Amino acid sequence: MADKQLSATAAAGAFQKEWFADLRRRVFDERQPYALLQADVPFELFDLLDIPAVSNQWWAAIVAAKRQAPAYLDAMAADGHHEGLCHYCSLGYASTKYRDVQEPPWGGLPTPRLLCARLTCDCIHRVFSLWADEFGSELIEIDHPGAGDLPARWWELGRHRWRELVEPHRLAFVASTLERLVERLEEIRGRSLDRAALRQRLESVNQQEEIFASVRDLIASAPEAPVRMTEQISNVMATQWVRGTDWALAHARAFHDEVRQRVDAGIAACPGERARLMWVGVGLWHDTDFYTAFEESHRAVFVWSMYLAFGPDGYIRYGLDDPMAALASRLASFNEYLHNPPWAAEWIVEQARRHRIDGALVLRPRSMKPAATGRLFIERALENAGIPVLPIEADVVDSRAWDPKSARESVRSFLEKRVIV
Amino acid sequence: MTLTAAFDAQHRAFHRALERKDRVVVLSSPSAPVEIVRAAGLNPIVVRGGVSPTPTADGHLEAGVFPPRLRWLAEAALSGFLANTTRIVFPRTSDPDYKCFLYLREFARLGIAPALPPVSLFDLLQSEGPNVRAYNVARTGALLKELTLADGHSLSLDAVRHEIERANFARAAARRLIALRKGAPRVTGTEVLPLLGAFWTLDPEVYATFATAAANEIAQRPAISGPRILLAGAPVDSPELHSTIESCGAVVVAEIGPFGTGVAGEDVACTNDPIAALADKYYADAIGPRTPITRMRRLIEELLDDVDAVVISLPSEDTAFGWDYPWLRTLLEKKGIPHTCVSSPDNERFDTLMNALARTEVRRG
Repeated sequence: MADKQLSATAAAGAFQKEWFADLRRRVFDERQPYALLQADVPFELFDLLDIPAVSNQWWAAIVAAKRQAPAYLDAMAADGHHEGLCHYCSLGYASTKYRDVQEPPWGGLPTPRLLCARLTCDCIHRVFSLWADEFGSELIEIDHPGAGDLPARWWELGRHRWRELVEPHRLAFVASTLERLVERLEEIRGRSLDRAALRQRLESVNQQEEIFASVRDLIASAPEAPVRMTEQISNVMATQWVRGTDWALAHARAFHDEVRQRVDAGIAACPGERARLMWVGVGLWHDTDFYTAFEESHRAVFVWSMYLAFGPDGYIRYGLDDPMAALASRLASFNEYLHNPPWAAEWIVEQARRHRIDGALVLRPRSMKPAATGRLFIERALENAGIPVLPIEADVVDSRAWDPKSARESVRSFLEKRVIV
Repeated sequence: MTLTAAFDAQHRAFHRALERKDRVVVLSSPSAPVEIVRAAGLNPIVVRGGVSPTPTADGHLEAGVFPPRLRWLAEAALSGFLANTTRIVFPRTSDPDYKCFLYLREFARLGIAPALPPVSLFDLLQSEGPNVRAYNVARTGALLKELTLADGHSLSLDAVRHEIERANFARAAARRLIALRKGAPRVTGTEVLPLLGAFWTLDPEVYATFATAAANEIAQRPAISGPRILLAGAPVDSPELHSTIESCGAVVVAEIGPFGTGVAGEDVACTNDPIAALADKYYADAIGPRTPITRMRRLIEELLDDVDAVVISLPSEDTAFGWDYPWLRTLLEKKGIPHTCVSSPDNERFDTLMNALARTEVRRG
């Protein structure tokens, strides 16, 4: 694994490990409830009611990074699940259901008090129902009404005109579903949600994302990228799971300041940078070294992924008179913005131009089928904007069919034939 | 025209409808209320999977994600084949349907499908939250408004009630056909699936007339021997799989899906609020990847008493039904019912299943 260039990255990793150890202590020793959530559920509501929450996707990434996914996925296949089913959203379930196969990372997930998921892809209801059954825990679902209106440049509306982004009936439905979720969390904790605290938390989330916007600007405008994409992800995601908390804000500032110092000092992630790359799609969690593999040979550096870039455009909501509606507006079209036409392609091309991207690697997920839609529109839009595209076929958590050598060779060839010419 | 022809010849049905200058609304699946379409003075046609190549659509729709019916629909949209239709409606009862809706809207925005008619989403939710019903009722009302006003009609709840009665009349005829598959079946699945599926294409009175005649004729036939098969897993919309199974000597007596056993269900209660009645009906009946796991399990369990074996269809684009399999396998093993899983018609697997059935019979004997 490539050395960490930022001290903030090491701090982020240490925080996550400690946070999880503390969670296990609270659950096992103090019998405190915690929740297992799909990544797009509003974590703020759980935290404000003192129910710590673990992200399914974060846990899947940890399992994959520890190279444990193949054994769990083999066990899942042996149990009769066909290989076409989504591995990313189900790896956590597999690590619970087939826990006898191997010891999971960090002692494994304790039994949650509840699970909560937005019903985006068709598999989510089933995966979370089975997972909840396996734990014997409650499941709360947030249904996902489909978007009919299509403001293509959504990021220009999100901050101040967020009510225009989501049709009123969808906004009302999602907000009322969140209210129901809050009622249930209040029952579990035996106390009420402090609405003023929710508003304050969302204001803190705004501040955090403003800091990330500043980091994004630094990365986009610096002569050479000051921070690797992998370290961007580590720092951003460690804070996103606890967004708006004191630690998250402090860490976001520390990350920003370190990036700022590097820019001011002219320090580059890959000195002599010749090619700026973007990664479109979910991270390749089982082979994150892939993202630094072309620095020495081609001076090609991954500059952009959605993980840092999406926060400032997708999360900031000004005008918090009705914080639940603001939260609902953030949630309602989350997946559409990231994956589907017209939203994803328009945004990614805009981001590519802003970051002076020379080439884009677009993930073609082997599973995650509905979440993988929109990819061809994105590829075409990037090429039409003059940005060469290399599709990378991979499963983001399952390394069984991944050939790191040939994948790297195809990128080298892409760089030499289409990017560094 | 026979029911089979109506079901089998989708392209011809479209052509015929367009030649008659019928005001056609294309539905991407049967989980949008045909009664609403008719009450708006329009004619519904439900898309089924095609077997023809879809070269233009393949450049936009990712492989292994969209079922054949949606690939066909995208191809038809891009080729201008649907230019003279009034509207295309996508029910939100599967993620591929929703994504295909977004894609068609994008085709129009990018100007690559200039002859595309308006495209709508019927946002029927299927989860079990307390606010889902009100949402579905509102969306059903919105669909009626959208279709009616766009066509210059005035909204009429009486028209909706009338269409509910007409569709119920057709449902009764479909239920007669379904009854002839129970116990000692008198019709093969290959033959009856088109007869049932035509419910979604024909005018209710026409359908009822043909279906009743077919039921009267079938009722005179002797019972068909052979193991009785339930086709579970991802719903099929053509009799291809039935035909392959039945070529091995079995008879498909039921299938999970809206084109066969699930075509009719109960009548729609024609209450004071026909919009709510339709929302409730389609919420309860919609069978697909977003059907709640408890409802799907109940549906399967109800059908197992009348079958000897189960074939589970798990096509390559499946994202949901495969999750049900370990539960279903355990249940079938407990009940001593043999089963097999297929991703496409596969004679070898069915032969294996038939051998397993023969062994079961020996043990039972």
